[in-house]
Amino acid sequence: MEQVAFFAGAIGALGGAIAVIALRNPFYSVLALVVHLFSLAGLFLLLHAEFVAAAQVVVYAGAVMVLYVFVAAYVGGVEEPLWDAIPGQRILAPLIGAALFIELSIAVLGSGLKSLGDEGEVIPAGFGSPEAVGRLLLERFLIPFEAASLLLLIAAVGAVVLAARRPAPVDRGGAA
Amino acid sequence: MVAADVGFAEASWIMVVKSLVIFAVILGLVPMILLLERKLLGRFQARYGPNRVGPKGLLQPLADVVKLLSKEAYKPDAAVPILWAIAPALVILSATATLAIIPFGDVADGNVGLYGIDVSIGILYAFAFGSISFYGLLLGGWSSGSKYSFMGAMRSAAQLISYEISMGLALLGVIMMAGSLSLVDIANAQADTIWYVIPQFVGFLIFMVAGFAETNRPPFDLPEADAELVAGYNTEYGGMRFGSYFMAEYMEMVVVSGIAAAMFLGGWHGPGPDWLGPIWMLAKIMVLICLFIWVRATLPRLRYDQLMSLGWKVLLPLATLNVLVTAVLVVVT
Repeated sequence: MEQVAFFAGAIGALGGAIAVIALRNPFYSVLALVVHLFSLAGLFLLLHAEFVAAAQVVVYAGAVMVLYVFVAAYVGGVEEPLWDAIPGQRILAPLIGAALFIELSIAVLGSGLKSLGDEGEVIPAGFGSPEAVGRLLLERFLIPFEAASLLLLIAAVGAVVLAARRPAPVDRGGAA
Repeated sequence: MVAADVGFAEASWIMVVKSLVIFAVILGLVPMILLLERKLLGRFQARYGPNRVGPKGLLQPLADVVKLLSKEAYKPDAAVPILWAIAPALVILSATATLAIIPFGDVADGNVGLYGIDVSIGILYAFAFGSISFYGLLLGGWSSGSKYSFMGAMRSAAQLISYEISMGLALLGVIMMAGSLSLVDIANAQADTIWYVIPQFVGFLIFMVAGFAETNRPPFDLPEADAELVAGYNTEYGGMRFGSYFMAEYMEMVVVSGIAAAMFLGGWHGPGPDWLGPIWMLAKIMVLICLFIWVRATLPRLRYDQLMSLGWKVLLPLATLNVLVTAVLVVVT
């Protein structure tokens, strides 16, 4: 049963991720990303991280992707430009990708492999529940957590300031 | 089992039976709510409502279902084939999956819990599955290949992100007072004290207003505003595909009422012996559904900018303030 669920989630996650970059229509790419995020949530459930799975669906699939879909549906039909939008993109992208891969490999080799075995890691009761995650966030990782929320707040305020510079025409009940 | 940790896990066959019972009860309830709504709307508008099919019009929903089932499965040429067919199914999936966490009682006779599942993430489960229903509306509207449908889908997207935050924040006060995310625990926490609707009255109001918006019910039915958008995201749908959207709206009403009844109105607790519990719960759900119908008959539809400013400038600050005040009071007492 767990194997079936794992492979369903893994195929969804990998297939979705490949479809995001392979599909031409941006709207379908966004939908593929949604499939990917839901599959990841399923994999989190298999790892007994219920809170992370729920947060993944609520925050990413439920809120962030709604904005993506919104934008893609409104400006979706625009043809892609034939030239590189960022100069040197074709050389930079594989380099950055390789760097990320190496970094992730170090992280996986450093920590993830010890749970590989016949039985896997022993999971304490309440692992991954909202209580456990809340304790970690508000006690052990309090300062990074608060720093991240401050950063997000600054980014949001900055976005509002940048958007408010242009004198916007008054919107009277148009389509969003 | 691979699913989330449950507060009380039964044997697999009991889970299957429970799912079937919940499904049967709610599917039986939906046509009754439909008839209740049409009858009540009639009375609110000083007319009789349906009274031709069967005694006192009681068989009207049956006639409606037969009509929907017997319609031709029509698909417009401009529609995107697969997405167009998946969309109504997603809405139904999300509505039925959310029904699972509505508790009709605690663990009875020591072996069966009177709820679908009691997950540790509790109410977050409802929000997670609620986000799937958005994709049902959006895909339906986008893939129909029609401007009206597209407008309706875009409106539902904007409405959903504006009201979901207030809805979550409104429940946070109750969660802090009860110290649990589980609906069963929250209902039990109200057994010996007053219902949370009294200390959390602001939260209750915000939750209900946001609930009207989340279920696309009047006065927040802008995604399907029939006066301007024909029928919004479901303009191009007919037959039972339209029926799915229609049924999902009523099931979501039951879900929102059920969550409100469990979190604010004491759940299955009420006077009388214990076996009355599920009946109390059902009665509370029906009272809240009558509130939905009453509001539909009373209030006109909001304009789009009014909807947005109500969500962001009134409900969100109010909900945040409610959470802050509750947090301070919970820590102090």
